[in-house]
Amino acid sequence: MSGSVKITIKLFSALREALGESEFQLDLSDISEASALVDVEAIKKQLSQRGAEWKEALNQPNLVHALNHKVVFTDAVVTEGDELAFFPPMTGG
Amino acid sequence: MSVALQSEAIDVAAEYAQLVGDSPGAAVATFTGYVRDHSDQHAVTELELEHYPEMARKVLEDLGHSAVERFGLSRWRIVHRFGQLAVLDTIVWVGAVADHRGEAISACEFMMDTLKTDAPFWKREQGPAGDQWVASRDNDTARRARWQSGEAQ
Repeated sequence: MSGSVKITIKLFSALREALGESEFQLDLSDISEASALVDVEAIKKQLSQRGAEWKEALNQPNLVHALNHKVVFTDAVVTEGDELAFFPPMTGG
Repeated sequence: MSVALQSEAIDVAAEYAQLVGDSPGAAVATFTGYVRDHSDQHAVTELELEHYPEMARKVLEDLGHSAVERFGLSRWRIVHRFGQLAVLDTIVWVGAVADHRGEAISACEFMMDTLKTDAPFWKREQGPAGDQWVASRDNDTARRARWQSGEAQ
């Protein structure tokens, strides 16, 4: 397979504010070789390379990850067209 | 039997009338949440509520369906606001219709306890001391856990 494999990353609340971005596209072909599976952990590692503030924000212990609008663990596999969101614990109601 | 996400104030009387309709059933319970004028440490004058629209709708719809399965509701409704809110504004309203009061009251508590920790909304308090994101509370997590462990029914 060649070409790009894009997913959408969304950030909310204090994470959005700290990193100055709310939504962007990420190309998975930059992360993995050909057929290797990419999970949430691999994406966190990739994004952590953007700088100290990214590393700190994405590695806080209570970070929540939602894949296609469902909360998941870091071993969830991400594929083309997915929407992956990172945010702090929710405080609605 | 639906979810509303809205920036405008919640018309509690209209919501109640719509929930009950022409046939109220035997038991109707509702809960209304308002913006407090204080947090644990300081005064609050305004509240900003950020949300993740697509996920919030899905989580709240799933929550309503769970409440139907769990408590045998004949009708339910969840309304949650987002955006800029003033002190004493309504933030959230839930309603449940069942055959008996126990189910209706428990369903409202279940929906509120669950949406607090599972629905993607984040409060940012504004006041004389400045702005700050509200931290999640251990008490909310504990109340949510009661429904998963079976301690609350």
